[in-house]
Amino acid sequence: MDRRGFANLSLKTGIVAAIAAAIPGIATLRGRAKTAGSKSPEPGDRLVFALGQNAGQPVTEGSFTQNEAVLAFPEGKSDNHDNLVLVCRLNPALLAAPTSLDGVVRGVVAYSAICTHLGCTVRFSEEPMDMAPFPHIHCPCHAALFDPHRGAVVLGGPAPRPLPQLPVRLNERGEVVADGNFAAPVGVVT
Amino acid sequence: MGLAEWFVERLALDRFRAKYLGKPFPVHTTFFLGEIALFCFALLVVTGLYLALFYEPSAENVNVGGSVMPAAFASTVLIDSHPFGLLMRRMHHWAAHLMIAAIVLHLLRVFFTAAYRKPRELNWVLGLVLLAGTIMASFAGYLLPYDQFSVTATAIGYGIARSVPWIGGAVADVLFAGRFPSPSTVPRFFAYHVVYAPLILSALIGLHLLIVLKQKHTEPSSSAGHSASADASGGRLISGIPFWPQQSALMAVLFLLVFAAAAALSAFLPVHPSGYYGPPGPATPEVKPDWYLLWVYGALRLIPGDLSFRLFGATIGSEAIGAMLVPGAIALAILLVPWLDRAPSSLYFAEHPLASPARLAMGLAGLTLFAALSVAGFSDELKLSVPVLWVVTLLSPLVVWWATYSLASRRRRASGTLGLGRN
Repeated sequence: MDRRGFANLSLKTGIVAAIAAAIPGIATLRGRAKTAGSKSPEPGDRLVFALGQNAGQPVTEGSFTQNEAVLAFPEGKSDNHDNLVLVCRLNPALLAAPTSLDGVVRGVVAYSAICTHLGCTVRFSEEPMDMAPFPHIHCPCHAALFDPHRGAVVLGGPAPRPLPQLPVRLNERGEVVADGNFAAPVGVVT
Repeated sequence: MGLAEWFVERLALDRFRAKYLGKPFPVHTTFFLGEIALFCFALLVVTGLYLALFYEPSAENVNVGGSVMPAAFASTVLIDSHPFGLLMRRMHHWAAHLMIAAIVLHLLRVFFTAAYRKPRELNWVLGLVLLAGTIMASFAGYLLPYDQFSVTATAIGYGIARSVPWIGGAVADVLFAGRFPSPSTVPRFFAYHVVYAPLILSALIGLHLLIVLKQKHTEPSSSAGHSASADASGGRLISGIPFWPQQSALMAVLFLLVFAAAAALSAFLPVHPSGYYGPPGPATPEVKPDWYLLWVYGALRLIPGDLSFRLFGATIGSEAIGAMLVPGAIALAILLVPWLDRAPSSLYFAEHPLASPARLAMGLAGLTLFAALSVAGFSDELKLSVPVLWVVTLLSPLVVWWATYSLASRRRRASGTLGLGRN
């Protein structure tokens, strides 16, 4: 091998080696994994208020009247933002499939509060709208609309899929507890 | 021998003076827009240098007087409590708004006078990259106060990045340093905002100006008296006022005006009151993006969820269409303007905006599209339904195009002279 050939080979080997060595470095750009807050709801978890003066207190049947809703976390699992649920109390007679009626108790139904469009926290609203002339769930970010009476299906706006339901029941003290995990993946899924 | 002499001798300043200080600058108010953007950038650097002394890039919770909040938010509130601290933070924010506004107006001036034509395509593209870079730098800066609004806006940005087909998850995680809100996101965005953005923007601004220096400015079409002399010399003579002393004095005045405008706006109009918004919590506030991203926000609201489709195993969701495909197509069209405009061009003269009815109509129709999309961002407030907004968004640019084109053509026929390349 002459000197030119050796120099060329060294250069090429060097470039390949440098690229290979850079790959693990590039992988670190993905950042630290979340250490806390990867727990999801389990049967028996009490739902506690996420906000307000009652934050951390259990949500009970008497916490709200019909056509009201509160934001709640499974107790002790508020680190995981994806656990945020909107617990609604609706007219039981209006609840219908695809709501899983096994996971509803006396009109109390819980859905993931994370919008399936871009992950904002949704709100409950009683104000009638054109597309939803009844109590509904809407997202303040890009105006997605969901029907809490029928499995939080998309009524309008940009959301690609319904808000996943979290089955709930009442425990012996009248507190709302989770009765399983979310029925579908929470939030933005791509 | 005086001190000035001493430097002149050692640095050969005579040659510099002869070569650059006499450089002619155009005298036309719209030619100050680029300078205004530059001065805003200078203001951003200066106020940013102050903010960087106190800002703490960390989302870890700290205890401040009994209440627990992220360190970044706590340091923002601390800056607000300093003498002039709140003013500095507001001026930083206002200067960013003014910079983007100045760049947009500068872009419009270049568009409507056809100053993007050969040989200036390079600076057209570079200018658009500068605009995009400035918007990205602003987006990174938006997160830093780490209040309720910042976190909501960045979470939406993360969702949009995730919606990139096939590789969205990896792209979003690399850009945001993990699934937002990850503990690594704030330090990463701090680096983007205070290291990468200023370095890259400074380099690109330098290049932009060097190219202007090399290619010379376009002669404003209003300086009819001067163009005669340029014609006499075969178009090789560029008229204007010399850099030193006339232009330098104008620039000093302009800088002080920009400074005064940012200071006055900051003093009287609160912008991004982090302390009022409060630290991030579970609920999402009514959040709208800053004015320059309202059109993307409107597009996101207009695209219904059932428009998403599958392509080669990836889901092209409504968020990908609204925040990537639509804005991407619009940005590409703007980028390709110098190649789409096939009219013969003058090397030295800016065209009169009315000279080409087609370009004027396209420009105004484009502006109308941006306005209509931005209006769609207020669908709730205006009580307008999505189908109505679709009709408005699609029809209004067409109406504006047609009206402008026919009016400008009629005017051109009537005056006769306007049609001839320049007037």
